[in-house]
Amino acid sequence: MVKFEQVTKKFGQITALENVSSEIKKGEFVFITGPSGSGKTTLLRLLLREISPNKGKILIEGKDISTLRSSEIPFYRRKIGVVFQDFKLLADRTVYENVELVMEVSGEGQSAKRKINDALKQVGLAERANLFPRQLAGGEQQRTVLARALVAQPKLILADEPTGNLDPATARQIVSLIDQAAKNGTTVLMATHNADIVNSLKRRVIQLKQGKVVSDKASGKYQE
Amino acid sequence: MGQHFKTAGKHIRRSPYQAFAAVVIIFITFFVATLLAILAYASYSTLRYFETKPQVIAFLKSEVVPDDIARLQKSLEEDPRVRDVRYVSKEQALEIYKDATSDNPLLSELVSPKVFPASLEFSIADLSFAEELIKEVEIQGTVDQVAFTASLGGSKNIGGVIENLRQISHYIRTGGLVILAFLSVSSLLILLVILSMRVASRKQEVEMLQLIGATPGFIRAPFIFEAIFYAVAGSFLGWIFGILIVLYSMPFLARYFGDVTFLPSEVSQLLILFGAILAAEILLAIILGIIGSSLAIRRYLKI
Repeated sequence: MVKFEQVTKKFGQITALENVSSEIKKGEFVFITGPSGSGKTTLLRLLLREISPNKGKILIEGKDISTLRSSEIPFYRRKIGVVFQDFKLLADRTVYENVELVMEVSGEGQSAKRKINDALKQVGLAERANLFPRQLAGGEQQRTVLARALVAQPKLILADEPTGNLDPATARQIVSLIDQAAKNGTTVLMATHNADIVNSLKRRVIQLKQGKVVSDKASGKYQE
Repeated sequence: MGQHFKTAGKHIRRSPYQAFAAVVIIFITFFVATLLAILAYASYSTLRYFETKPQVIAFLKSEVVPDDIARLQKSLEEDPRVRDVRYVSKEQALEIYKDATSDNPLLSELVSPKVFPASLEFSIADLSFAEELIKEVEIQGTVDQVAFTASLGGSKNIGGVIENLRQISHYIRTGGLVILAFLSVSSLLILLVILSMRVASRKQEVEMLQLIGATPGFIRAPFIFEAIFYAVAGSFLGWIFGILIVLYSMPFLARYFGDVTFLPSEVSQLLILFGAILAAEILLAIILGIIGSSLAIRRYLKI
């Protein structure tokens, strides 16, 4: 599903990632761990095609995403669900409308009503669909983000520190929902340095340090 | 499309003062543009009036024989600077006089055709030729004197009339274009600043939309609609006020221009003129809106 081949990314003189190689299978849940500045977010940004590698290839379903033209990038991104630490919800839209936005972007609009309701049910927010983000607790906002990521039934979910702003109990709920998506066949890459979450779930862990992969273990442990 | 209108409407409602400022600036531009367009039309009509109406009357000496008159008429007809040459006999001149004094028949009873000289009337293709042409006609042996019939802004002599027309045309064409260009650029910059503020305040939203796969067109659309709304609202108000000012000034303008039909006299023609100005202004406003919003959002749409 996702393959990194000797990927190097530099920002000026700073090397964010160096010769990263790894392969992630379809439906796999992988934690990307490491201290701040280790390259976790850079890896996710490369996968989102926000930036391109200086060296190496990133293959998604066998296609090198570095070769995508600008006009193809939006359509590529529609296959990916993204979950952010800071939620990035639109304050002037309700929960329902925030989730609906993904369908509007892909041109489905009103026809996607059932999918939106399913996604909201999946994250337990069906009853709160008409509330605005400011009326929700942090965990509920993150569940809205998760519903937005899941609604288009993406093949890949990228989560960048999704539990960073949440209390431990809420964080576990969110990760459990993401894990459920992986069990349904969606590949998940989750960047985090929350050792409790990583160690409790016992999934594959790719650990980065100073832009290099220092360990890649199935059912790994992580120490901050 | 509907959702983009809805989003644009939300943006406008949320910052009414910015929206008001944008509309006012564009209103000023198009208010001036409306006045300039009408002035340009009036100037064109005035020039046409003088070009198509017999402007020069060459009064012939009483002893001139028909052959000499025919020769002079032919040479004028062959001159590319001259149009519509017409011979007016003494009798015809008397008829014209009778028509002009019809309200006082006593005046025409006292005169006979002999009093009136025969004349050659003609118009000039371009008023810039008028002075030299009149001088050429004046020195003809058959011509007693030459009269120029135009009158504008109090000027009774040819030099004054031509100078007035030249000045009006110059101010309207050159000055008008400069003012319009300056105001258009100002409007564009104001639109750019207001929409840049809008886009900057929604930077996170734009970034998020990009990350979930929105195309640049999808992201741009609400901002473009918003800019078009400002531009169209401003231009429409500018047009309305411009037209009202023109209609209000009509009596004064009519006095100033005299017999010159500087605006269409038929209501339908007048409506067509005002409609054409509105259509052109709306089109320009839409172009300004599209350019302003596209430039404003450009820097945030780097993929």
